[in-house]
Amino acid sequence: MKQRNLLGPASIVLFLVYMFLPILATYVFSIAVRWDRSILPEGLTLDWYRTAFQDRWFLIVFRHSITISAASVLVSTLLVVPTAYWVHLRLPRARPLLNLITTLPFAIPAVVLALGLIKLYGQGPLQLARTPPMLVLAYVIFTLPFMYRPVASSLEAIDIRRLTEASQSLGASWVRTLVEVIFPNILPGILSGGLLVFATIFGEFTLATLLVGARYKTFPMQLVYYTRRDGRIASAYSVISFTVAWATSLIILWITTWGTRRSSGRRSPVGRAGGGAPAGGKA
Amino acid sequence: MSYLELESVAKSYGAIEAVRNFNLSVEKGEFVSLLGPSGCGKTTTLRMIAGFEQPDHGLVRLAGEDITAVPPHQRGMGMVFQAYALFPNMTAWGNVAFGLRVSKSSQEVIEGRTEELLELVGLQDAGGKYPAELSGGQQQRVALARALAIEPKVLLLDEPLSALDAVVRVSLRQEIRRIQTQLGITTVYVTHDQEEALSISDRVVVMRQAEIEQIGTPIEIYTSPRTHFVATFIGTTTQFKGLLEDRTNGCVRFEDQRITVSPDLPSEFQNGDRVVVFVRPEAIEVARPGENVEGENQLTARLEAVTLLGPVIRLSLKHGEFGLLADVNTNERSRFNRGEEVLISFPAEACRVLKEDES
Repeated sequence: MKQRNLLGPASIVLFLVYMFLPILATYVFSIAVRWDRSILPEGLTLDWYRTAFQDRWFLIVFRHSITISAASVLVSTLLVVPTAYWVHLRLPRARPLLNLITTLPFAIPAVVLALGLIKLYGQGPLQLARTPPMLVLAYVIFTLPFMYRPVASSLEAIDIRRLTEASQSLGASWVRTLVEVIFPNILPGILSGGLLVFATIFGEFTLATLLVGARYKTFPMQLVYYTRRDGRIASAYSVISFTVAWATSLIILWITTWGTRRSSGRRSPVGRAGGGAPAGGKA
Repeated sequence: MSYLELESVAKSYGAIEAVRNFNLSVEKGEFVSLLGPSGCGKTTTLRMIAGFEQPDHGLVRLAGEDITAVPPHQRGMGMVFQAYALFPNMTAWGNVAFGLRVSKSSQEVIEGRTEELLELVGLQDAGGKYPAELSGGQQQRVALARALAIEPKVLLLDEPLSALDAVVRVSLRQEIRRIQTQLGITTVYVTHDQEEALSISDRVVVMRQAEIEQIGTPIEIYTSPRTHFVATFIGTTTQFKGLLEDRTNGCVRFEDQRITVSPDLPSEFQNGDRVVVFVRPEAIEVARPGENVEGENQLTARLEAVTLLGPVIRLSLKHGEFGLLADVNTNERSRFNRGEEVLISFPAEACRVLKEDES
């Protein structure tokens, strides 16, 4: 009996150790003076962060990664939101097909995707191979499931058909309806999808290396570079990368709860002057 | 020429015919209801007027102009939906102002008109609230104000009260009618609720299985149904199936009795036709044996059940094996006891005769 009672807690502890020990170790390693010949680190220091920040490449790769991630989110939003809206509104029978297509990237290894894209765009009129725009396009495909799923669930949660018709009967065109009526109501879905895409791309190494490599160094490339030179600086890079990912996750969580709170109607009323404005940022 | 005209309009979805050969003329300022059971094509018809569906055949004309091909956002028709369809991201005020903003009205006009309409529907204090903070009835009022804000050429309402509870339904339908009359706005109203249609419309279009059964004023529809379907769909009736014996004098043979109906039946009837005589329960008088009764037709019957409906009680009666329904004033209820023999009577003019072969 006693053994049985211990099984549950033990498995939880094991799970937590498995999940968090490497992360914890990375954190400690990034502030340890040296930690390769003793059980506990030999003193603590912030030198590795200083080195990381002082590296002239740091800001460049950070900027590159932010740029690529943000551009991918933008392209993905512009591509996925109108498509998902149109399919949900006009081609509901195509929904299973779209679900399948948007899940396919999960099944394709990054290496295969990268080599295929290079082969396809290496010649011909579109000389996109090995350029940052190419990487952005590849990322849009790669992260399609992350963007499409939340957007599709948001669309399913509201009666887009009636809202569209109501908007049209009041004289609004398709574009106006999409921008002023549909977009604000699925904003939580777009934001959480966008942040998932952002976080995924920010830490992505394989596609970036294969598609552009050293021509456009991203944050993970620099991280990998340091793992070959000094693991402690690499750890500092990892911690920074984690921080970006976790910050994004927190924002996703916050947006999702904000979305639910809003639809249950506990949002404080806004004055009539703001009544017509889209809801963006009114949290 | 009428203001809104539908001419031989038809619409199918695959093999299913939703609307067949639909012709209707609506005058300016008129309130017309489309009434029928679900799936009869009334909503499809409304959606074709709004432009959300394209007819396969026929024309939709507004003020003499063919608008069949005009997209919905250029038709200028205000629409109210069953599920309100308010924009959740906008306040009540924002919802009402939306159409005015779209039409690029000046700020002054937007504010004045929005204010005015919220007041018209009695929600001047709720402008700052979001749809989720309003009750169903309030949401539908906002939806009505929103549709009216653009000064629509035609107001279309698609079962606007179906989602509301009974009390709100009755008060809001009176209010819709009041506002409609006040603004003189041409209105097409879809409902499956006969009481709703009869109580607020200028004219009612009864539909069944994609076709129009009858168009008429509420009182015409109620007292002079033209088809078997209309006679049974609207209100309650007792149906005496019999043989027309004398068209000129109005005499129908029913079992071992003769029923006197209004004389001089139209020429489509011939002596010997199988006919059905429809009699409304409120036209049937019930008396205790020995009491004096008026009315050409008199039958004895046994009282089977008594049901309280509110102002009236409904008596379920049996004449032999034949069942009848009669309504009497609730304050007369003590006169009738279950199982008793009673005498029923109804006048000839209360009888509506239709041929039996009509399905």
